[in-house]
Amino acid sequence: MSEGDISERGLHTDLLSRRLLVVTGKGGTGKSTISAALALAAARRGKRVLVCEVSARERVSELFGKPPSGPEIRELAKNVYSVHVRPPEAMREYGIMTLRSETLYNLVFERKVVRYFLRAAPSLAEIVMLGKIAWHAEKEFDRGVHKWDLVVLDAPATGHALALLTVPRVFLSLVSDGPLAADMTWIQTLLQDPTRTQVLVASLPEEMPVNEAIELRAALCKEKLPLGPLVLNAVFQPRFTEAERTAVARGGPMLSAAADAADGHEARAQMSVQYEKVLRDAIAAQSAPGQAAQGPLLCVPQLFERQFGLNAIEKVAHALEGAL
Amino acid sequence: MTASAAQNSQLPLRELVRGRKVVALVGSGGVGKTTSAAALALRLAVDGQRVLVLTIDPARRLANSLGLSALGNKETPIDLSSLRARGIEPRGQLSAMMLDLKTAWDELVRKDSRSPAQAEAILKNRLYQTVSTVLAGSLEYMAMEQVQRISASGRYDVVVLDTPPTSNALDFLGAPDRLMDMLDNDAMRFVLGPMLKAGSFGLKLFALPSSIILKTLARFTGADFLRDVADFFVAFEGMYEGFTQRAAQVKALLASPESAFVLVTSPSALTIDEALFFHRALSDARIKTAAVIVNRMQRDPRAVGGAELAADLVEALSRAQIPDAPAAPAALHELGAVESSALDAKGGELLSARLARTLLEQAALADVDHREVARLTAALPGVPLYVAPRLRRDIHDLSGLWQIHESLGAF
Repeated sequence: MSEGDISERGLHTDLLSRRLLVVTGKGGTGKSTISAALALAAARRGKRVLVCEVSARERVSELFGKPPSGPEIRELAKNVYSVHVRPPEAMREYGIMTLRSETLYNLVFERKVVRYFLRAAPSLAEIVMLGKIAWHAEKEFDRGVHKWDLVVLDAPATGHALALLTVPRVFLSLVSDGPLAADMTWIQTLLQDPTRTQVLVASLPEEMPVNEAIELRAALCKEKLPLGPLVLNAVFQPRFTEAERTAVARGGPMLSAAADAADGHEARAQMSVQYEKVLRDAIAAQSAPGQAAQGPLLCVPQLFERQFGLNAIEKVAHALEGAL
Repeated sequence: MTASAAQNSQLPLRELVRGRKVVALVGSGGVGKTTSAAALALRLAVDGQRVLVLTIDPARRLANSLGLSALGNKETPIDLSSLRARGIEPRGQLSAMMLDLKTAWDELVRKDSRSPAQAEAILKNRLYQTVSTVLAGSLEYMAMEQVQRISASGRYDVVVLDTPPTSNALDFLGAPDRLMDMLDNDAMRFVLGPMLKAGSFGLKLFALPSSIILKTLARFTGADFLRDVADFFVAFEGMYEGFTQRAAQVKALLASPESAFVLVTSPSALTIDEALFFHRALSDARIKTAAVIVNRMQRDPRAVGGAELAADLVEALSRAQIPDAPAAPAALHELGAVESSALDAKGGELLSARLARTLLEQAALADVDHREVARLTAALPGVPLYVAPRLRRDIHDLSGLWQIHESLGAF
């Protein structure tokens, strides 16, 4: 094993000891599944994990076979909790915390006219959502220790995730005073600190998700957001040689279904191999020369479950742990 | 006849949307909206219409699939002559355009402002600079605005819109409202009133005994932020009318029978849930779902017939005189297989066992897809459904796009 391998391995082992893992990527690449699997893997190591969901519909709670958590933190499995972070409740929690007065909050912020203003004011929704998530990751204590060992953010898809994660920079470019600016400052520091935060980009072995993953990682890099592993989901392995497939295809009607299945499998396997290489090359190209590759590639196999629930999450967690 | 062929025996999608001025494809990300939009637009153009396909996605897919290296924020005519090699004579025209958010916003400001000075003031406003690129909903707003503008120009018979992959349909439908809220908002006027009345927006205003609301908000957001919002608000003064008018036109166009909303989904349970969510959101906005496209349907290998069980496969291999042996590791390695317990290559199994397992896996994927599509059909009675198979390669040219029609007979 070369030195490079050892440093990569170190990066892997440390992944689950970060404070905040952000999972993003193109829609349909399995962000929620990967978020759930990371939470499960961390919980298995005895960590107390909070999954924050921000999309319109909760998915992680569903994957664990539980009802939606809503704005209250709910337990999904041993040491795995989730919460649905939504602008109205986040605004309220955050406002009360900042003003240090529920009365004042109710008096001012609960007015219809102000609620209207807050809904329309640019980026405030993102600000309070991110504020809540970062607070859970960094500032929520229970008897002197962090309440959560790890917060997993099941982030929105590419563009919206980038908008969410760059909200501190954008806000700080406009505003330098006030409590929000102070909060955005420490949140930006947290987000940009590779020892505390990693952003994982999920992809599939297909053209669009791969292009988007590469572009997204370049954009994250530019924003100085630390890149974690790139997760290539739904990978097929080559299983039949060309000679075998040719023979089966010519083997007569009894082998028709088998030949069709083998062709279907190998088409996906060839795309997996092709795009895995594209991603590895891109990771190498995105890393500074002489340094270990930023955020290695983790491959998760295609699953064939008829019901996609906890059993599937466990398989994905297993695959991630195997690669970690 | 397979299930998908039966579903596709209805009126082709191109007939269904005939006469519509706007066809919007909506759905969550990664379901093939862009490819479907391009394929439908191509079909309509070949049939004789003047078609514009408008995409929001900055990814290169649409450009690639139309045979271009890149797409700009301009209407770009697509050369359809390459289809002649396939014996297809295009009777209409196809153009494509990608929405560049920043450019589109700047153009809009220049057009709607009362003077070049006002336009400059807005373009230089710090909040504007962030609003126009990052504000959630602005992408959706601009998409709608462009569609309305282009549709009204009369240059095209139909605009096919590849909508942004919002996870929430309401974002998309509510975007113009949300923007109008921000720009012409009585609440804004009320809250920022003390700052606006003074006519200048220096910090000293915050020292004045202004309303408790403003002060409390400033404790929360900082005074800078509110001042920027006020500046922004003032800079836009007088432009609301144009904006509001156009937003109203956009809403009217989308809700009118001249528009068709087509839901695009994949057969995965999560995207089907989202498609149903979209459908409800459309219904709530009194917009009818014209059709549903299900992309990436897994082929069921059992549909072609033959042995399925390992024992029968052993027999069939033996009859065909194919050796039932493990795969040569070197040959698999050549194809790119790697040793990994997690990835489970199992090239060491006999050919019959590998074939049986692959059949089971592919059949499981197909069964799950069929179950999910059945759920979708049951939830959307009377909505025409078009099913497209998962393609075994990426599409890089017009000819590939055209093949989608040929394999489907649906568009």
